[in-house]
Amino acid sequence: MKNITQSILPACLLASTIFVFTSCTTVNTVERATPIGTKQMIADKRVITDDTLKRKVSIVGLNEGMTPGGFLQVQIEVLNQKNSMQNFSYRFEWFDMNGVLINTPTSVWIPRQIEGQETLSITAVAPTTTAKDFRVKFMENVRKD
Amino acid sequence: MKPNFYSILLPVSALLIFGGCATHTRYVETTGPRTIVTTDINIQDFSYAAEDMIKSLLASGSLDKTQIQPAMLAISRIVNNTTQQIDTDLLIKKIRVALNQSGKALTTTTMGIGGIAEDPLAKGIQQEKEFYADKKEPQRMPDFTLSGKIIEKRDRQDDVRQVTYAFQLSLTNNDGLAVWEEEKQITKQGKRGVIGW
Repeated sequence: MKNITQSILPACLLASTIFVFTSCTTVNTVERATPIGTKQMIADKRVITDDTLKRKVSIVGLNEGMTPGGFLQVQIEVLNQKNSMQNFSYRFEWFDMNGVLINTPTSVWIPRQIEGQETLSITAVAPTTTAKDFRVKFMENVRKD
Repeated sequence: MKPNFYSILLPVSALLIFGGCATHTRYVETTGPRTIVTTDINIQDFSYAAEDMIKSLLASGSLDKTQIQPAMLAISRIVNNTTQQIDTDLLIKKIRVALNQSGKALTTTTMGIGGIAEDPLAKGIQQEKEFYADKKEPQRMPDFTLSGKIIEKRDRQDDVRQVTYAFQLSLTNNDGLAVWEEEKQITKQGKRGVIGW
């Protein structure tokens, strides 16, 4: 009995090591130490209802700018804190000066994939120059793979 | 009174038959995350492509470089190079609606490829109006034309099948120069048993 345990244990250890290292693929990144482009970061308000998603795909920062045509442009930086690839969807909603939702064909749930430890920049452009505010929703993939 | 065998069997079998036939059809949001995914071009793929195209076009500022604002846009040929029969308006209409909403461009419905108007009645009214107004100056010509192509590429490795749809659009000014171009690729993967090709 002891012999069987002794022979199985290394095999299990090897199998689990292989499983752990093959299922996790992370991303290494490199960038300029002092970036030339200065991001106009904005303070954000977050409503977290899905802690699992928050742990997987976290929002690092939010910055905005204007396009040459006067459209509000937003960029959100998200980070996958896990070591494996994650799926999520996001959707931008735009609001006018009075806080009224602007109905636009560009407001769709967009699926994205993010590799382990990867930082991803999500950009969006307001549909009209009257759009002054925005809201972004994040959701875990609900489709069955 | 004791219920006999048949008095129980009848309602139970009716329940089974009609209950079994009940469909599980439900409404889902067209632009939502619960739509089905197949290797064909799905409705949401047009939405993803349109969203990317509009974002790129508005950010480029190409539509701002006309003397008269909003710019006038005419729709040229959108080639379907996929194996599927699709209506390219599923992509183009979204872009037209978004450009109209943006206030940056208006699309003409009285000019089309080969002189065929999208809206023949509007063209007739326009011509009649010009005739009675004894108009001397030429009709305003479009500042831009929008043309494009949808391409399909299929690949496979072992039992994994992959299909990529490339949505390509070009905005050409009336000097014949493509002032804005964009491509959005959407790739889907599936196992052979799941998708059957």
